[in-house]
Amino acid sequence: MLELKNIGVNFSGRDILKEVSITFHPGEIIGLVAPNGTGKSTLMNVIMNYLRPNSGKVLFNNELEYTSKKNEVKIHQLVSMMPDQSDLYNHLSGKQHLKIYSSMWNSNPELIERTIEDLGMASYVNKKTGTYSLGMRQRLCFAMQIVSDTQIMLMDEVMNGLDPTQVEIISQILVKKKAEGKTIIIASHLLENLEKYANRIFFVKNGKLDLIEDIYKDLGINGNLVIRVKEGTPELKEKLSQDFPELNIQLLSNSVTLIDFPKDDDGKLERISAFLSDHHEQEFSVGKMTLVDLYSKYYH
Amino acid sequence: MRAYFKFELIHFMTNKKNIAIYVILLFFACFYAIKIAPSFDPIEKVDKDEIEARFLTREDFLNNVVLDENTYPLTRFAAAIYPEWNEYDKQRLDALEQNDMKKYAESTFKWYEYSDSMIFRNGKGLLYYNPRYYTAGNLYATEDGHYAYMYSASRYKGYSEGNSDLSINVFEERTALQTLQRMLHGYLPLILLVSCILFTSDIVLKDKRNPTLIKGFPLSIWRRLLVKGGVALIGSILTIIPLLVGFIIIAIQSGVGDFQLPVPIFSYETRAFTSISMGSYLFQNALLILFWFLLLISMLLLVSIILRNEFANLVVGCIVVFAEFYYYVRGLGFVKDIQWYPSSYVQVGQILSGYREYLNNSTTLTLEYGLLVMSGYTVICLLITFIICNQRWFKLL
Amino acid sequence: MWKLLKNDFIIEKSNKKNIFACIAIALFVLGFFSYQKIENSQELIDQKAGEYQSVASALTKFQNVDAMDYGNGSDLYYNLLQQQRYVVNQSMALKIGRPQLYLDTGIKLAELRASAFDLEGYEKVATNLPSKTQNHLDAILYQFMVKAGILVSQDTLSFYPFLLSLFMMLGSFWFIFISVFSCGILIEEFRHTSLIKGYPVSFDKYVLAKSSSAMLFVLIFIAELFICSLPFIYFYGVGDPNYPIAIFDGSFKVATTLEYIGIALLYMVFIAIFTILLSVILNVLLKNMYLTLFVQLLLFIAPSLFPALVSLIPFNPFNYMNFANLLNGISLELARPVELEAVHGLIYFGISIVLMLVVVKLFFTTGKLKRV
Repeated sequence: MLELKNIGVNFSGRDILKEVSITFHPGEIIGLVAPNGTGKSTLMNVIMNYLRPNSGKVLFNNELEYTSKKNEVKIHQLVSMMPDQSDLYNHLSGKQHLKIYSSMWNSNPELIERTIEDLGMASYVNKKTGTYSLGMRQRLCFAMQIVSDTQIMLMDEVMNGLDPTQVEIISQILVKKKAEGKTIIIASHLLENLEKYANRIFFVKNGKLDLIEDIYKDLGINGNLVIRVKEGTPELKEKLSQDFPELNIQLLSNSVTLIDFPKDDDGKLERISAFLSDHHEQEFSVGKMTLVDLYSKYYH
Repeated sequence: MRAYFKFELIHFMTNKKNIAIYVILLFFACFYAIKIAPSFDPIEKVDKDEIEARFLTREDFLNNVVLDENTYPLTRFAAAIYPEWNEYDKQRLDALEQNDMKKYAESTFKWYEYSDSMIFRNGKGLLYYNPRYYTAGNLYATEDGHYAYMYSASRYKGYSEGNSDLSINVFEERTALQTLQRMLHGYLPLILLVSCILFTSDIVLKDKRNPTLIKGFPLSIWRRLLVKGGVALIGSILTIIPLLVGFIIIAIQSGVGDFQLPVPIFSYETRAFTSISMGSYLFQNALLILFWFLLLISMLLLVSIILRNEFANLVVGCIVVFAEFYYYVRGLGFVKDIQWYPSSYVQVGQILSGYREYLNNSTTLTLEYGLLVMSGYTVICLLITFIICNQRWFKLL
Repeated sequence: MWKLLKNDFIIEKSNKKNIFACIAIALFVLGFFSYQKIENSQELIDQKAGEYQSVASALTKFQNVDAMDYGNGSDLYYNLLQQQRYVVNQSMALKIGRPQLYLDTGIKLAELRASAFDLEGYEKVATNLPSKTQNHLDAILYQFMVKAGILVSQDTLSFYPFLLSLFMMLGSFWFIFISVFSCGILIEEFRHTSLIKGYPVSFDKYVLAKSSSAMLFVLIFIAELFICSLPFIYFYGVGDPNYPIAIFDGSFKVATTLEYIGIALLYMVFIAIFTILLSVILNVLLKNMYLTLFVQLLLFIAPSLFPALVSLIPFNPFNYMNFANLLNGISLELARPVELEAVHGLIYFGISIVLMLVVVKLFFTTGKLKRV
């Protein structure tokens, strides 16, 4: 179990993380979402003790803290961070990288073959990594972390450069690891993909971690459905506001117009859809607010 | 930790630089063995013609000299000292005739002892050592000659009293073991130390290129440095292998020699030579060189984590090894306490054989002091490294 | 191109390696000064004492080996006797402060020695006496000093004499230092290829900019040599920039201290440019800074290990790398003597530099920038 208590990180006057207190449990996948440079990587660096927080502490399994080098080693037995693909040894093969990681963390060597098979790497794992494409390197880094088999795994942009099939494979492995009781913290921009397997998703803003459920609540979208117009314009919004002044209409930064679906449905839906088709807006949908929309709304 | 050790060792052995160092050492070992060693021209040779010429000249003189009140004092002096001198030369010639190496050793030992006492103590300015010591520009030829004659006397004494197989190769110090002894007296220790520096210079800093891969390893910084140091030490010791090839080539050409052969050791306190066996001499050399490796490696580990620059490692390493050339002047040891500087012990063979004591007029440049100073500085470096590593704020990468 | 240079200089300015190199040079000058102080306080007098012993021991060879009677000695024997006498005179001249006598005796001694080389049996005493080259250098130095009326001086610590010995010492080390300094050039580029491949600048221009930036640092180092020596003016005076020194430059001649320093500087600059370009090319081929260093050092030692190479390949610039030895005429003392002229050295360096620039221009396309 990983607990962050009041973590604060400050760079030249700016608060990157402010009083972040949170607990991560075994068998959980946590998603971290934020625009670049708002603190996702900083948080991970603090958990790994690559960066010391200005305040607060990190607590593992209710007993271990980063108070001494000895503890740091013990903690690193439990937590690992996915290596960057640019740091691979170009003259070594993928298999050799896996063996290194497996032996460093003393994990089960059978895990190596299983991981190679799961990720479909068998055809190239014995070649030098210098010959790999970006996607192959990324998958290898993921495989290395899986093979280290640590209790807690931190992954920064693991899906970088991967095609949809590979994204799917990796997601399945993540779910499998979750079932094994691991804690996985993923920083990602693939929001729809995250939604599928993450237990909790946090948006990072102004140094704080906000659970998306809480965000939904704060924005009053709780359980509400929305009408989603794909290519909205400010003029459309104007016209809609004139015709339907009681509705909450938002034009998001990605040109999506969201119309809060009225609570008491009294035929408004038909009138709105009629209005929209009159104005040649054929593409709209009805459903729950997506994470992507929430992101645009939250970070406009 | 074993996994990390294997990791570092494989990286060390596949590092192109390290492979290049071994290849270059092999090349130089073979070059030396094939080209330079056979053309070694010792000053003290087994030269029948030279002995005979000197013997005959003096015998001629002794037979024809007339000693009366008018005789010039120097002639009287010559007549007084030549007879014994010639006695020894005659014994040497006879021994060579009969091919009796042991007898030659014994008479030659006496000859050197007598010659040295005559030239150094009694015949100052009139008698000279072998002319080859008096090379143009050598300001210390007499001291060199004196040392060499005492050295040879001790050597031959050891031969006459010992049980080794004697031959001209042994007398002229051409056998493989004796060549090794000569090289240890010369540049070989420097080559080994420079190789050690080259091996160790990047062993910590190479990780800068693959940080995220290595940062997370569950191993403390101190343990990592220890493993790296250990790998560097093993690598430095393995330089024996390419050098062994050269050794074997020389052995094929001139014989191996014997571990029981005497190696003269000079002590400044008694101003005299004693003898130890070749085996123990080589062992002492290996010991001192090993301690040098330990010192260099621990020092470079410390410099690596403080200055974090490979160029700095090379510069610092070279300063420690070559500093002695800057402050060395004959007789300095009498005046300054240079026994406390580790760089005074660079010329390993010379330290052990007492030559360095002779050059520096010091009683303290010995193996014991050397080991003491080396281990002292090593412990200090390791201690500082340990303290720095365990600081909470310290990051290796 | 200027922008590139400026950018690179800004990057390199804070590179620890360059800072260390500056420190190392300052230390070297300081260390060399203390070495000079200890070594050379009585140099000439000690030298003469040593010479006396050498000649005397050469004489003993005759008594023992030749077994000749006293009245009937060989020409070489008499020659050596006379040499002995002149050496003693020179030594006295120094001690009692009569420099003119020192020079006059020196000239006669040199003439004697010159004639000795052709006498029978010289090989037996060759190691005891100065070499032919050394003697010739001494001879023309003495003659010049007599003609010009310059007095012999034993002061080695004032500015100009100190610089002279500093640059003579640098002859052996300069190439090694520049090798170590430049062996890492372009290695970082190979690690960050995606950064550089896209520059709107051709790779050869980039390489030249980098080399020029490195050369700028070398010039700073050379300036530092002078600057670090300046304090000694305060303690020991400026010295005489026109004090003569004998050199071999195709023929034996005498140069002033200033001229010697000038030649040394010229060589150092050429050697630096040559070495930097060589490092660049080797790094492209070998992609490993240590391998580059080893290759350069091996090329440097090759003429010493295989002296035959010097006569076989006279246009090899590495014959001229140790310019102190070059000007001392060491090449004349090889088994197969070769007359190496300083100007030729510069020409060969120049040609090699031009060749390497052509190689850079023609062959260095960005195709070479594959990831290491």
